[in-house]
Amino acid sequence: MLFRKHFKKIVNKLVELKDTSELMMDLAYSSLLLNSRELAEEVQELEEHVDSLHTEFELLVLSSGFKPEESKDFLGLIRLGVVTEKIADAAAEIAEVVLRGLEPHPVLKLVIEEAEETVTRARVSKKSSLTGRSLRDAEIPEETGMWVLAIRRGKRWIRPQPKTVIKAGDVLIASGYAEGEEDLLKLASGTSKFSS
Amino acid sequence: MEGLEKIEYKPVSVRDLLVEMKDLSELMIDLAYSAALFHSDELAKEVLELEKRVDTLAYILDMNAMLAARDAEDAESLVGVSKVAAATNKISDAAADIAAIVLQKIDIHPVVREAFEKVEERLGRAEVKPNSIIAGKRLGDLELAAKIGVDIIHIRRGKQCIINPNEDETIVEGDVLIVRGAPFGVEELEGLANGTVREFEGRSI
Repeated sequence: MLFRKHFKKIVNKLVELKDTSELMMDLAYSSLLLNSRELAEEVQELEEHVDSLHTEFELLVLSSGFKPEESKDFLGLIRLGVVTEKIADAAAEIAEVVLRGLEPHPVLKLVIEEAEETVTRARVSKKSSLTGRSLRDAEIPEETGMWVLAIRRGKRWIRPQPKTVIKAGDVLIASGYAEGEEDLLKLASGTSKFSS
Repeated sequence: MEGLEKIEYKPVSVRDLLVEMKDLSELMIDLAYSAALFHSDELAKEVLELEKRVDTLAYILDMNAMLAARDAEDAESLVGVSKVAAATNKISDAAADIAAIVLQKIDIHPVVREAFEKVEERLGRAEVKPNSIIAGKRLGDLELAAKIGVDIIHIRRGKQCIINPNEDETIVEGDVLIVRGAPFGVEELEGLANGTVREFEGRSI
């Protein structure tokens, strides 16, 4: 039982590493698309966070008290952890382009817009059904297939939480397959209502 | 060790190259995690095939970017493109690392699978055999998404990669199809491609 509990912790940490590294990629592409230093800095901060997560993860794996014959299973876990860190590093390198003050080449914007998985931004209008709803209630992924990565409110960036309430004028930065982009834009502008 | 492909300069737009690299690297990550979770050597080998493709694209992109720079200002703006390409290449390397874990028979604990499965979707790989009833068919005519809930997200035809093929694409014998969909539909598609399923939606096509 004790082992099972410990193992649960290991897995949760790995899932957090995987999700954070993927979020970083999306945010890094967003920072290029919008030439935004703030988003790029966010990526750099997450990179430090991933470094410490990764160390915690490795310590958890090493202290799990596995038997010699199980060592191969645990090597698999350690290697997966290394991969997520590598992805996080790649994201940080993309963000660095923006932080170095290099104006992103126009081709980069086109690439991000044309790719299968894209990042997009949508301004929430007063008449949108999203206005006044929390992200949990807004069910944007279910409606559009797009994930909200960040919210720009005035000069502030907000990291989305389920309880974050969407306000008119917010700019949503979201990622997903290109097909969902139009649905999100419609939902945010208020030209389409919820299907429910 | 297999020989590496000889690299020759080809005039291709940097934009097309980078779009393909970005799409492939993201596809590879999804495929690699799927390979790890389902212990699939086939998916893992496909990741390694795609990895070679991304490496080649990276070389061609760098050559084209070098030729595109006429002055210092161009160079400043193109170095960012080159950096981003290097990062997508690094992501594809990371995917290949996962594939290597699978091929070296290093197991990943089953509890990890539960935690990683966010959606009721899986990826599958199927090679189109000569006797398959879908060989020679147009994607638009097959209506796979409507009939069995499966999308073909990628076709590898020899060294050529067709990402997100459109409905005018015709499936050819020997194609490697990467599909996404509900587990049942993915299995049906695999059967259709290898020729063991001879009927489609209860009727022949």
